[in-house]
Amino acid sequence: MRWLLNIWRTLTKPAQYLTLGTVSVSAFLMGVIFWGGFNTALEATNTEAFCISCHSMESMPYKELQETVHWSNHSGVRATCPDCHVPHEWSRKIGRKIEASHDVWGWLLQTVNTPEKFEDKRLEMASREWKRFDRDNSLACKNCHNYDSMKWDSMSKLAQKQMKRAAELDQSCIDCHKGIAHKLPDMGTARAPELIAEVGSGVNGLEVDQSYFTALTKPVYFNEKTDVEAGTLNIATKVKVLELKGNRAKIGIDGWRKKIGAGRVIYYDFGLNILSAQLTKDAALEEGVIQTFEEKEDPMTGLKWQRVEAVIWTDTDYLLSDLQPLWNYARSTYSDSCSVCHTQPDEAHFDANTWPGMFQGMIAFVNMDQDTQALVQKYLQEHSSTFNKSAH
Amino acid sequence: MSTETANPVNQARSTIYQLLSSLFAKEIDHKTLHELTSTQAQAFWSQLAAEASFKADVDVLVAEFAKLNSDKALLELAADYCGLFLVGTKNSASPYASLYLTDTPVAKGDEPLLFGEQHQQMTQFLKQSQLQVQSEFPEPADHLAVILAYVAHINMHCSNQQQLEFIRDNLANWLATFVAKVAKVDTGNFYIALAQLTLAWVNSDLEWLESED
Amino acid sequence: MNRRDFLKGLVGTSYVVLSGSSVLAPLNALAASGAKASDGWLTTGSHFGAFKMKRKNGVIDQVIPFDRDKYPTDMINGVKGLVYNPSRVRYPMVRLDFLLKGHKSDTSQRGDFRFVRVTWDKALSLFKDSLDEVQTKYGPSGLHAGQTGWRATGQLHSSTSHMQRAVGMHGNFVKKVGDYSTGAGQTILPYILGSTEVYAQGTSWPLILENSKTIILWSNDPYKNLQVGWNAETHESYAYLAELKEKVAKGEIRVISIDPVVTKTQQYLGCEQLYVNPQTDVALMLGIAHEMVAKNLHDTKFIEGYSLGFDRFLPYIQGETDGVEKTPEWAAEITGVSAEIIRDLAKVMTKSRTQMLMGWCIQRQQHGEQPYWMAAVLATMIGQIGLPGGGISYGHHYSSIGVPSSGAAAPGAFPRNLDEDQKPLFNSNDFKGTSSTIPVARWIDAILEPGKTIDSNGSKVTFPDIKMMVFSGNNPWNHHQDRNRMKQAFQKLECVVTIDMNWTATCRFSDIVLPACTTFERNDIDVYGSYANRGVLAMQKMVEPLYESLSDFEIFTRFARIMGKEKEYTRGMTEREWLNKLYTDCKNANAGKFEMPEFDEFWKQGYVHFGEGKPWTRHAAFREDPEINPLGTPSGLIEIFSRKIAQYQYDDCPGHPTWMEKSERSHGGPGSDKFPVWMQSCHPDKRLHSQMCESEQYRETYTVNGREPVYLNPNDAKKRGIKAGDVVRVFNDRGQLLAGAVVSNNFPKGVIRIHEGAWYGPVGEDGSKEGGAEIGALCSYGDPNTLTQDIGTSKLAQACSAYTCLVEFEKYQGKVPRVSSFSGPVEIAL
Repeated sequence: MRWLLNIWRTLTKPAQYLTLGTVSVSAFLMGVIFWGGFNTALEATNTEAFCISCHSMESMPYKELQETVHWSNHSGVRATCPDCHVPHEWSRKIGRKIEASHDVWGWLLQTVNTPEKFEDKRLEMASREWKRFDRDNSLACKNCHNYDSMKWDSMSKLAQKQMKRAAELDQSCIDCHKGIAHKLPDMGTARAPELIAEVGSGVNGLEVDQSYFTALTKPVYFNEKTDVEAGTLNIATKVKVLELKGNRAKIGIDGWRKKIGAGRVIYYDFGLNILSAQLTKDAALEEGVIQTFEEKEDPMTGLKWQRVEAVIWTDTDYLLSDLQPLWNYARSTYSDSCSVCHTQPDEAHFDANTWPGMFQGMIAFVNMDQDTQALVQKYLQEHSSTFNKSAH
Repeated sequence: MSTETANPVNQARSTIYQLLSSLFAKEIDHKTLHELTSTQAQAFWSQLAAEASFKADVDVLVAEFAKLNSDKALLELAADYCGLFLVGTKNSASPYASLYLTDTPVAKGDEPLLFGEQHQQMTQFLKQSQLQVQSEFPEPADHLAVILAYVAHINMHCSNQQQLEFIRDNLANWLATFVAKVAKVDTGNFYIALAQLTLAWVNSDLEWLESED
Repeated sequence: MNRRDFLKGLVGTSYVVLSGSSVLAPLNALAASGAKASDGWLTTGSHFGAFKMKRKNGVIDQVIPFDRDKYPTDMINGVKGLVYNPSRVRYPMVRLDFLLKGHKSDTSQRGDFRFVRVTWDKALSLFKDSLDEVQTKYGPSGLHAGQTGWRATGQLHSSTSHMQRAVGMHGNFVKKVGDYSTGAGQTILPYILGSTEVYAQGTSWPLILENSKTIILWSNDPYKNLQVGWNAETHESYAYLAELKEKVAKGEIRVISIDPVVTKTQQYLGCEQLYVNPQTDVALMLGIAHEMVAKNLHDTKFIEGYSLGFDRFLPYIQGETDGVEKTPEWAAEITGVSAEIIRDLAKVMTKSRTQMLMGWCIQRQQHGEQPYWMAAVLATMIGQIGLPGGGISYGHHYSSIGVPSSGAAAPGAFPRNLDEDQKPLFNSNDFKGTSSTIPVARWIDAILEPGKTIDSNGSKVTFPDIKMMVFSGNNPWNHHQDRNRMKQAFQKLECVVTIDMNWTATCRFSDIVLPACTTFERNDIDVYGSYANRGVLAMQKMVEPLYESLSDFEIFTRFARIMGKEKEYTRGMTEREWLNKLYTDCKNANAGKFEMPEFDEFWKQGYVHFGEGKPWTRHAAFREDPEINPLGTPSGLIEIFSRKIAQYQYDDCPGHPTWMEKSERSHGGPGSDKFPVWMQSCHPDKRLHSQMCESEQYRETYTVNGREPVYLNPNDAKKRGIKAGDVVRVFNDRGQLLAGAVVSNNFPKGVIRIHEGAWYGPVGEDGSKEGGAEIGALCSYGDPNTLTQDIGTSKLAQACSAYTCLVEFEKYQGKVPRVSSFSGPVEIAL
């Protein structure tokens, strides 16, 4: 198949002298031109040599791969570029190839032709790959790594626990194993990357009438279209999907609010300062957003509380079907971060309304992004003596 | 090594310095006790006791050896050792030269820091002789056991004059103060006797070196 | 027999020389070539500052401040003495009677200091055997390994983390909540202001300097206390204090120090002092509040919009609830501050931007919750909370609080807790119906009265029956109150294990003592600038661990090995790998925000600097929108009256700030007829608590006659025939100590000061014999906690009350004993 590669090279080498259009045609339709050899051509584009011939990768991802277990290991099995980045099933493969014709543009425009440019784009590129892995449930990984054939006994207890949970859900491998073959992108600007790496970025295909939990603090909107924010949903908040339209879900939030100010803040339950959502003034006053029910006075403060249901829109991402992974992440973060200076108090040492004061008063030395802080605080509140009476 | 310095007398002197060094270096255990009370050792002690200025202390030591007939007795002696030499506190007579060579007024309780000038000086002496403190003995070089061991070394390698100078300038100049301190704070008999014997030995050795000049 | 003959006689017998090896060895090639750890400058740091240290001939030679520390503390001169002082714990040691009899040893001998050296293996096995015995016989309630404190700096070798992870891998144990410094404050303030406040970042100094017209330093001495920090301190606050001094001189900011004594800060700033009788601050605040209400000076709009319960507090001010109107005249009677001044204060504090800066001392007294609560109420009445240069802070004297934070992520630490899938060898959680967590300062109560139930912060605590204690990098024989009561408690313990670098009193009252090396004998990593989080510091090993001391990592790795859990403990990583990990995790967390080089480059460089931070105002978000940014209180608002506290129905902590008489109080208060003098035992000027007291030569710069100074009012001294330099006996019904007299007008009549952190050095009751283990022993050096009371602040916080303490003093007439706290081969001749 060397002849094909050579043609490919001749076609693409003087790219700067050709019009973009010409090359674009040349790119992946090439296979169609050489109709008779379609499958052969496709296979050719499926070798490592092919990938690295123009992906200007010798210096970056290819080298990184060579330092990982996917390159060199006891079993002598090596994963090459297409093993992970090209689906093995035919229709998906074609889809991927067409998708990859974008790469040619990138290559032509020299989008990532320096290490600096590559680093700048790494997160974007990686995110695209992660999404793809997510979409096909890490099929590429599972061709070699099968949940069913894993040796559970030789894993640590922690790995077993996590892996079994993942197996039960047939979870996408990349949910946890990002950065396994190439350097993890600098996710400093992304929100709570470690948290998201742990719990995933949400369920694909939400279902109406099902309940979900927010994986991040999420903006809410007045309707399915507008970008005008109507407030925020706090992390680890239970919402019920009422309607789905495109990338938006109409959700219902149950809770209680204090009858002070505009009543914009919705809490988990009566008398408990466990934050569920904060609405803008406009949203709180908008007809149909907040439905109100019975009122009660909180004996601890003398403040009046009112039961409410809010109906509002949010993006469909970062909604989880299970709360437990969030709590697991929160528990280990709390245990690690809050024991740097002193023994962290047991969750049930304080009640739900004392935790915010204790937690906020101690976080000066703790490294947590806003989302993680909010999650840990909520974790502590929902595992406090208010809910767990076994303390002391 | 010159034949003059390696004579049997110097060898005997060196052995005694080495013995004293070992007894200050660590607690007495069963093995040491066994060696110290062997038939040959008994001959040695009685020979040493033949000298009037050593007799009283040697007698005490020999008597103390006899009492060390149980684990508990050895532990009690180890506790004496620990209190005297291993913990710097109220009952201590820490065996570091620097603590006894301070010029600052004692009324202020001012003490030099360990690993200071005397430690450096001794390290230099050792280095000159191609020696260093054993890594198993993680103490400053101005520890009494190190100085005694070094004297044992120079007994065999240096002229009498050099030995005389070293002992006078680095051992005899503080030993008496140290021994007085041991006598004051030791709750047992063994280490007082050992310290006094060391002082008597060093003094007699100095006299001998001077007379040999 | 002549000498030559004598020596010749010895020749035949002298080969008995012991078969053991000499203490000398041939100079090895490495050392001979001079290729061992090379001399030169390295970077490191401690609570006292970040520094550069010079190694010369294998020892620490010079210590100079880190380039970025422009206001280094004088304590830097004591650092070398921490390493080379004669009080070092040199070898693992076991108390003789414990070695012989184990858990059945004669515990009344604890403190008499009869130890035996053992090998590390032996010591660690004994340690484990003791844990086995306690877990088997009593379960987790028999073991208290939860007392922790100001460990030496460094995120990897943090001593309390290592101890608790390793002991936690063996079995569960009793833990503590709260701390000695701020126990009352950190418990009350979440109810009132929704945060502990004491450990929270505060309004930035630049905003205070720009906006404040009046600054109230209430029982606060930042110039003294900012010398030390939780991390490697770089003393940036001092630049702002210097600016403040200028502004005071120019009359641009009025600073009033409300304090019984003239503080170091007041002298530095040249500001005003307002004397107040000790322990009466709440009365003074109530008088001010009364005047604000009377003259309508308070901000009713702020009170209404941002707080709850003023209406239930007002009747108390006006005397409707208890028949006593809290007028300035009423307050004047109690506080010694004239009604006129109180009225003036109310006016001054409300007329322009006023920043209240509270110190921590006044909450370390009986009812210590009250002054903090009442100060928050005053700040609410002034109505400037959330404005730059207004409102109230409880931390500007601490660890660079108020210096704008860089916003960078700091390095994490070696884990204190077990990893998620790990289980202890003894995995019982049966505390036999007693509490697994107790208020930090109540552990002596627990040992003395196991099974007793007390109120604590809205719940009940039942004291566990503690049989064994483990301490690491922690010296409760400094920070706990009432030494003689501690001795009684310690006699009830079966086993005490202490890991430390120097022979603290806690070591001396232990059964197993393990030598940890100092910060400067290990590699570590830390933040510098404390709350400013200005950068990451490489703490480079200066010298190998002295004697047989080991790093905390090494000690507990060995301990874990004995348990068969070494790999679990270290996660299979070496010290170097951990350092690399802690740094790289930090680098990753800062990626995109703060540039950090790779680990090796960082280590070579010695530090990474994060740069300046942005000024910030505490509570500004709350002020802007209290609904969206509520406080962490039950209501989300400032709680002047707390229904939650009220429903606890505590007689010593009711629902609003209240003036309550103390169990002992000077200046006419209870007990002052017998013991007329109030003793304050504030944080020292020349130490960090008890750390550095052992630094011999540095200590000599401030001791008087070899003792801790006791600061006396000239008239009080004269009346007792005492002059500067005299040895003074200070005493009450709880104990007695000797200290050296410093006579100074900075101290008012009826007030003395002895800084806490003075090492306990007991000698026999009559001072004539060594009898440290005895109850009633005289402290030969001057530890003020020989005299303090061991009572809780209230049923709420149950925190320490060291400041509620009356004493008497006299010129010491007896034979002056040697100081027994430290090394002492040299007699102190007096």
